[in-house]
Amino acid sequence: MKTEFSASTYTNGYEFSQGTGYQLPEYPAVIPPAVQSGQTEHLRILIIGGGLTGLTLACSLAQLGVKAVLIDEDNTVGVKGASSRGICYTQKSLEIFDKLGIYDRIKAKGIEWSVGRTFAGEDEVYNFDLKAQNSFSLSQQPAFINIQQFYNEGFLVERTMALGGVELRWNNRVTAFSKEEGVANFTIETPGGSYRAQADFVIDATGSKTPFRDWLGVKVTRKQGDDRWCIADVRFNTQPPKERHTWIEAPFNDNRAVWQHLMADDVWRIDYQMAPDADPAYVSREDVVRERLARQFGQDVKVDIVWVGPYAYRSECVDRMMVDLGKSLFFFIGDSAKVVSPFGARGGNTGIADADNLAWKLAAVVHGRATPDVLASYHDERHEAATTNVQVTNRTARYLRPADGAERLFRKASISLAKKYPFARSLVNTGRMAVANAYTRSPLKAPELAQSHSVQNVGFQWVDGSQGQLNDLLRWAAGAPLLLVWGNEQGLIQPHILRQLQSLSEAAGIRVVHVCTHEGLVRSRESILDSAAALARACSVDGQGHVRDMLRSPSCQWALIRPDSYLAARGQAINGRLIHTLARLAGTRLLGAHA
Amino acid sequence: MKSSTPVSHESQTLELKLAITYSDDFYEALLDAHTGLSPSESADLNARLILVMANQIAHNGILKQCIQAAKSAE
Repeated sequence: MKTEFSASTYTNGYEFSQGTGYQLPEYPAVIPPAVQSGQTEHLRILIIGGGLTGLTLACSLAQLGVKAVLIDEDNTVGVKGASSRGICYTQKSLEIFDKLGIYDRIKAKGIEWSVGRTFAGEDEVYNFDLKAQNSFSLSQQPAFINIQQFYNEGFLVERTMALGGVELRWNNRVTAFSKEEGVANFTIETPGGSYRAQADFVIDATGSKTPFRDWLGVKVTRKQGDDRWCIADVRFNTQPPKERHTWIEAPFNDNRAVWQHLMADDVWRIDYQMAPDADPAYVSREDVVRERLARQFGQDVKVDIVWVGPYAYRSECVDRMMVDLGKSLFFFIGDSAKVVSPFGARGGNTGIADADNLAWKLAAVVHGRATPDVLASYHDERHEAATTNVQVTNRTARYLRPADGAERLFRKASISLAKKYPFARSLVNTGRMAVANAYTRSPLKAPELAQSHSVQNVGFQWVDGSQGQLNDLLRWAAGAPLLLVWGNEQGLIQPHILRQLQSLSEAAGIRVVHVCTHEGLVRSRESILDSAAALARACSVDGQGHVRDMLRSPSCQWALIRPDSYLAARGQAINGRLIHTLARLAGTRLLGAHA
Repeated sequence: MKSSTPVSHESQTLELKLAITYSDDFYEALLDAHTGLSPSESADLNARLILVMANQIAHNGILKQCIQAAKSAE
């Protein structure tokens, strides 16, 4: 039965923005041969949407040697002449970008920060330094880098093109969709005419205004309030410190909230909370913004307005992030799957993590290393992350825009207490900064593991003494699981265990690395020196920053790490737990073991 | 594997028999703290007091039962 869905509309809308903006790149439109031939093109993997998340997926697939096509309705990154958008990139995102080969460019362009300060009125209520926390301190990447979203998108475009294998088709827009006999069918419009395409794996990276939720009948949980903000990207002649500053009640903003961050090119990102239901046209007028900036920084401050625009947020979450159409499989990633309020940087960063989670699984299926049932774990894992992030950010939104009456009363109480007593500081909720979400219900992890957490990109030394990092090992594993093996008390791996590892490596297609803590033990090519035992700690630190179950001798110790850095299992002896976990990762079940 | 998240003591139930050592003592201290305050100042004090006391009780499970007990006594 053929079911046609109604035509889509353009997703970009920045009606009220003002300011000189940036000169963003323009890529040439792509008119595929199918436009001329009239034949329906068959695609293995189709990514719809070339924003932050779609491009991260495209680049990841290119890195893994998987062919795919990405289509985007326009021919640029960001939106023409527009704003900074998502600016705070978490350590996990930076680790992913490092794996993809664009981290050095981000580091050169962006601003690192780890200190945050929260103010109410004239008082600093509390501060934090993320560098001091275990869950951040072991990585080669810093806790955060601030950079305008279009820079990361531009870097991803260039890297994807350099890697090859994934085609970016600009000015290609889906105008119709149908699912005949379980196959996803698309009509795609280009400046040179339309064409039809079918795809086995479809990834919706079109963002929050996606038409696909309705088209696929996916249920959405939604929450929207009356909180209104104004975003201003400005340059001034003053130089406040490179810290995240948040005011819950700023005297220079009618006792409403203000967020302040530095980004690339000496451009500051300042978010002003407005009155509830404020008119977006008024809120984003340049003269109104200038007046506010003068109140904040003094009348003498010289200001260059790069971009100004109104902002309102909501939360949304689909009930299914993967839909099986029968023959084609459909995935929601990034904002198309869930939308969150911006506090804590859980929007763009979650999309990047969605892409990193899905890429290696698609690669494993396409390359025949796993059966398609492994793809269901994308929903299991990323839906848990999505619902967690929605809950956390909604709590922050409720704190920042409290209802009149009791909610405002308790906020006032928490602020007064926080100024005097340490216990109350963590009640002040100006955003719980994003971490790599742990998976507690994943079908891919060993059942004995309470949660699957992301192992930080730890540094170590190669046999020749040069510096290496976990990402190097993951890139070398090229989409296969990575098995880290520590020796016994003497750091040695006994011969019979070595033989087991060799045959396991061949049979299961995994990469094995011997982690040595003493220089004298480093013998084979697949040996690394980790004298600080940082890798062992990183395999033990969970999402809350607690060091659990420090790996100890006497027998052989191991940790199995997925291509997205998540720990799948760890153990003492090379035994059934390792075998069964490898079987899970391959989407098969051995010996009747259950999920 | 042991979880490292805070234990919520869901199995512990609320103490509904009098447990305060000298309840008249506490009651007087509470009323005295409010003496001379306007209604909004009293509301502010109560809110701060709830948060201070909540931190003393500490366990999520008990705290939620406290909220339930207070709500159902309307």
